[in-house]
Amino acid sequence: MHKQGYWGYIFTLPFIVNLLVFVLFPIVFSAYIAFTQWDLFNAPRWVGLDNWIQTLTDPPFWISIRNVMVFSLIFVPLQTVFAFIIAYLLNQSIRGKSLFRLFYFMPVVTPWIAGGILWVWLYNYRFGLINWTLDSIGITPIHWLDNKHWWVVIASVAIANVWKGIGSSMILLLAGMQNVPKEMLEAAAIDGASRWVRLTRIIFPLVSPMVYMVMILSTIASFQAFDVFLGMFGSITAGIPEQHMVTNLIIYRDAFLFFKMGPASAMAWLLFVIILSITLFQRYFEKRWVHYD
Amino acid sequence: MKNKAKVVMMMSLSAVLLSACTLSNSGSGSAPGGSGDGETVRITLGLPGGYDVTNKEIIDGFIAAHPNIEVDIQEAPWGDFTNRIATQIAGNTMPDLWFQENAVILGYGQRGVAEDLAPYIERDLTTDDYIDTLFAAQTPEGQVWGVPHGANPIALAYNKTIFEEGGVALPTDEWTFENLIEAAKQLTQTDANGNTEVFGFIGSSSITQGWFPWIKQAGGMVLDETLTESRFDDPNTIAGLQQLRDGIADGYFMDGDSITAYGGELPAFGSGKSAMFFLQYSTQVTMNNDFPDTDWDVVKIPRSVDGERYVPTVSNSWLISSRASQEAKDASWEFLKYYLGDEAQAILAESGSALPVKQSALALLEDSQTKPANKLAFTDGIAEGGVTLDENASWNEWRIAVQQIVNEIVKGNVTPEAGALDIHKRVQDILDSQS
Repeated sequence: MHKQGYWGYIFTLPFIVNLLVFVLFPIVFSAYIAFTQWDLFNAPRWVGLDNWIQTLTDPPFWISIRNVMVFSLIFVPLQTVFAFIIAYLLNQSIRGKSLFRLFYFMPVVTPWIAGGILWVWLYNYRFGLINWTLDSIGITPIHWLDNKHWWVVIASVAIANVWKGIGSSMILLLAGMQNVPKEMLEAAAIDGASRWVRLTRIIFPLVSPMVYMVMILSTIASFQAFDVFLGMFGSITAGIPEQHMVTNLIIYRDAFLFFKMGPASAMAWLLFVIILSITLFQRYFEKRWVHYD
Repeated sequence: MKNKAKVVMMMSLSAVLLSACTLSNSGSGSAPGGSGDGETVRITLGLPGGYDVTNKEIIDGFIAAHPNIEVDIQEAPWGDFTNRIATQIAGNTMPDLWFQENAVILGYGQRGVAEDLAPYIERDLTTDDYIDTLFAAQTPEGQVWGVPHGANPIALAYNKTIFEEGGVALPTDEWTFENLIEAAKQLTQTDANGNTEVFGFIGSSSITQGWFPWIKQAGGMVLDETLTESRFDDPNTIAGLQQLRDGIADGYFMDGDSITAYGGELPAFGSGKSAMFFLQYSTQVTMNNDFPDTDWDVVKIPRSVDGERYVPTVSNSWLISSRASQEAKDASWEFLKYYLGDEAQAILAESGSALPVKQSALALLEDSQTKPANKLAFTDGIAEGGVTLDENASWNEWRIAVQQIVNEIVKGNVTPEAGALDIHKRVQDILDSQS
């Protein structure tokens, strides 16, 4: 090996050690403890497939998967569409553009502990602004976060999550739009293309890789939803109804409140497989609408 | 060769850096010889909530009185501490001595993390000097996994002004829950549009101030005496939940939306939005600080249908790590003896943050000048009917399972009967899985 090669290894050694110790080891270790009974305090005991069978036959796990899927189905399209529209509008020549960008990005840097309080207030059945508005225009107020129908609750949380996440998606799409050659748009305009045609035939195809990335990132984030649900419902110990639980909350609860590391690890791996499958599914359809040329 | 030496050096440096990132368990690092021969012993003391929860005067007093014991304090906000402690135990870097919720301590005991304090208590304490809460962390088998940091019973707090304006007689220690419900109906005030301005009582959905006392007063049970069987299928248990739900549904108990709007249960009571409230002893400090002008007092929790009194009492418990060295265990027990002694218990009584468990310190409360005037409602209440929240090693797990469904019951999304039967099945499954 060349002398230069040694130096390369030496300089990357801290990162390699970090990767091995804090990333690779926990992944391998969690795969191991998924086959054991381990309470954190005593030595793990091998139980074979028990944790996997228990998880796969546990109704609350499937309820949580159903919830993250519905959450994702509402959150991802809403966030992508609204982020695209806002990015498009903010890419125009308008006054106070920077100020608008700042406003839309502010929720991203707002912690969920504060965002949760805000949205819990907005959704309050008796005193919330949303129900007050509905009531004042003659619409019956809605139980947003304590509805009998679980999907209303999940949709309410998804909408709050759109508010929080739209800023970062908007920034990505805006960056993509700013790379669209002005000459191309001007040439299309001279040839008589309307705004709609320029948007759908030029801007969207050119920005489609960014849209695709936003969708992938949003999907992964939605399946990993955790803090948004804690922000909206308070702590796990306060008793978030099972019908509103998501998988990451159950994993955290089982691991660190109930000290059941084995089932929690099995659940985490199953969630990983589901996220991977959905990402591959999205990738399968990528070629049909994403343009890299 | 020279390059290989550099690689080895860099790897060694990385290893040193990594090891520096981990915490060390100072408890096992006590000086040989222990405290008995005058050498210094070092212990690590975990204080969740820091000095907001544990009086600094007590810690300082212990340090001053025990020059041969060095105390390293690990303090952190409550949530941070409790989130971290499990991983500290897993990594064997936990303090030698700390406190947490009593139910959590019971779980630690079952998993071999806590030292059995029964022999220490038998050797060094006169148990008659203490109230029964001293043994809150005792198992049916006789192990004692911790001793109380303090006791927190509940009492019925009432707003005198609202009672006087409503022309309703003030509560007494002889009240039953029926009296409470009737008074709540009479004291609920609505405006011209039918919106409630003052509620009679706060319909808490929490265990201590909500479903547990409501179940007990109706003659129901949560678990049986052995703490291994669910009793949520008991008709009296369901009746208790039904009464709590009825109060909220009929509008004389404050509902969850209103509690949120008023900033929580205590602010709702303190600001005069509710006439009555089950107040936990420790919250009197906040009540007096935040609402000094509110005219209020307490009486004992009303009697149940069978004439008995059940006073739910929450306690946090100190535990000594079973993995600490013997010297550190002995030094930690010295701290607990000091904590349970007259001087420290008097400081605890003075602070108002929890009831002391030593009888002599409880007597000091009679001379207290702070509100509530009738502190005997807590001390006599706990003596007459103090009960734990049916805590066992799986309490954290079954309590959350119950809470999930009770939240739906109080909102009216599930009927008390259907909800209780669902709870019964889940709780029994959890209890069975532990046995």
